[in-house]
Amino acid sequence: MADTPEAIKKSVRTYILVGIVLFVGTCLTVAVAEFSWLDFGKHGFDSVDCAIGLGIASVKAGLVAIIFMHLNHEKKAIYWLFGSGLCMVCSLAFLTALAIENPIENKDSKEMFGIK
Amino acid sequence: MEIPYVVTPRKDTGLFNAKIAIWLFLASEVMLFGGFFSAYVFLRLGADYPWPERTLPVLPGLINTFVLIFSSITVVFAWASLKLRNWKRFQLFMGITVFCAVIFMVLKGLEYNVKFHHQALRMKDYTVIEGHLGVEKELDHRGKTVEENLIFVETSKLTFNIVRFHKPWVEELLSQANHHHSKILLASDVTAITHEGKAPEVVAKAGEALSVDLLNRIQKIHLAARSHNGTYRTAALRQEWVKAHSLYPDKRDWQIAEKVNIDLVALTPRLLSEISNVAFNVEPATKFDFYPRDIKEADGTSTLRDDTVVTGKLLESPMVFHHVDAIDFQHLVMRAEKKGISPKVAIEGSWLMNNSPFVQRAWRWHSLKVEKLKTELALQKREPTHKELYRIGWKDLAQMAEEEGGSKISGTDRLKEEFLGPNYKARGEETFPAFEVPREQVGFAAKFSPAWNTYYAIYFTMTGLHGLHVIGGALVLAYYLFFGKKMYLSNPEWLANRVEIGGLFWHFVDLIWIFVFPILYLM
Repeated sequence: MADTPEAIKKSVRTYILVGIVLFVGTCLTVAVAEFSWLDFGKHGFDSVDCAIGLGIASVKAGLVAIIFMHLNHEKKAIYWLFGSGLCMVCSLAFLTALAIENPIENKDSKEMFGIK
Repeated sequence: MEIPYVVTPRKDTGLFNAKIAIWLFLASEVMLFGGFFSAYVFLRLGADYPWPERTLPVLPGLINTFVLIFSSITVVFAWASLKLRNWKRFQLFMGITVFCAVIFMVLKGLEYNVKFHHQALRMKDYTVIEGHLGVEKELDHRGKTVEENLIFVETSKLTFNIVRFHKPWVEELLSQANHHHSKILLASDVTAITHEGKAPEVVAKAGEALSVDLLNRIQKIHLAARSHNGTYRTAALRQEWVKAHSLYPDKRDWQIAEKVNIDLVALTPRLLSEISNVAFNVEPATKFDFYPRDIKEADGTSTLRDDTVVTGKLLESPMVFHHVDAIDFQHLVMRAEKKGISPKVAIEGSWLMNNSPFVQRAWRWHSLKVEKLKTELALQKREPTHKELYRIGWKDLAQMAEEEGGSKISGTDRLKEEFLGPNYKARGEETFPAFEVPREQVGFAAKFSPAWNTYYAIYFTMTGLHGLHVIGGALVLAYYLFFGKKMYLSNPEWLANRVEIGGLFWHFVDLIWIFVFPILYLM
């Protein structure tokens, strides 16, 4: 993290640059969703749009975390703390994903129990 | 006492204490919001209705995103100004940050306000109508204007559940009866055995006027009797179990349960009277009005949510839209397709299509538009979405009216519409007409609030929680702005560290919105 006056002055330029990237990223997300000529995949919202939208959002969030929140120059303890939070979220999301599968409607289960 | 490690870092962590604390907090916040995002995915994949894709106004959401990104830059500038010991610049940037928070919340407030006044109705056949309800031409019995969405019952009798009656509703019924010069009188004597072994006595006489006090009095007798009887029943049951265990010492409880029965004949003389319901006559029978959320209406006997039974003829109680601004057949088609019925047949057979010339006209116009779209998309080997096929939104209705020579509105009014929804006044009755839906066609109705569906439930939960974070963060940053001067003069590095902590939280709020905006507004 910038601590000396010179380093801080230098990082101000980075903040402006990141800000511009964030604005552009937001415009791009809206454009992909709103304009048909930027509509990838099927017409309307589909998994491709979802991946693009979330991809741009992840890049933007990454920039905020790395530059604005100074994660590029942090101590190990912070990485461990924030990283464990993220891991916990991912594992909880994975558990949720397991619950999406409906065993009754599942094709194999239907065959197993002779459900038509 | 001096607080340690507010400026200098600890040797073990290499960080000052507040920084460790805020990152611990942010890690827990990641899990909190992560849980909500998971809930969103779960609700969306499991929805048994067409998920409202791209239904929120994008422009206010987009402006809010810009506002938050901009405030993220200004908050980091405010911190940098403190590091460079420039108080004036700190004030400027922190002031802008707090102002951005205010703009964000004002836009959010506008968005919420529009939702809370916008009515949705799912009809019995699953057609959805959206719009605004009118207000009663006549005021209600208290002189208040109410939305034209009341249920009227020509009430001749009211039967109260003595345990569950809701006091404000009893008072409301009395007030309505009084307004119509009717009386609510006890239908028959209420007799009860109030002391063990004694003869029944009249605890309330027929003709006694309804009052909360009277119901409370009967409730007291009922609860005392229930408690008394419960004690006896439990004692008798215990005795039976002891007897059964002595008769069948080798058997388990579940094996002898069938043989354990209370001797009701012996017990009855010792029991007191429980009075669970009390009936009152309305003399003369009169028209009572009820909010739809409070009553399950039926011709003959309707039931309030507190189990009060309202006996009487259900009068005409249409739901009156003064402006219809969207007609949505998506849910109807979804259900029809499950049954193997073609969408065209389902839509043309819907109640709305058979009873509203306006909807018929709008559907014809919409079908032509869809045909054009299909041709255009076919060139790219694509197909229209379900929403494009089966939903006529307010922008479609406005376009139709404009094409048919209806009133056009100014650019400013158009811009306003992007924030506040359709402008009925400017566009006129022919664009968004009035419409009456008979009560028997009403399936479920609600404002665009969490009650309407799980999409709005998760939308309000996530944006509401995020909004609370914005308010909390702005308050902390405003505190540094308005009360930080003293600390700046005595220990500027400490204030810089504090602003860094507040700034970290503020960036996190921005980071969450970066995901909330595309997920809720664009997908």
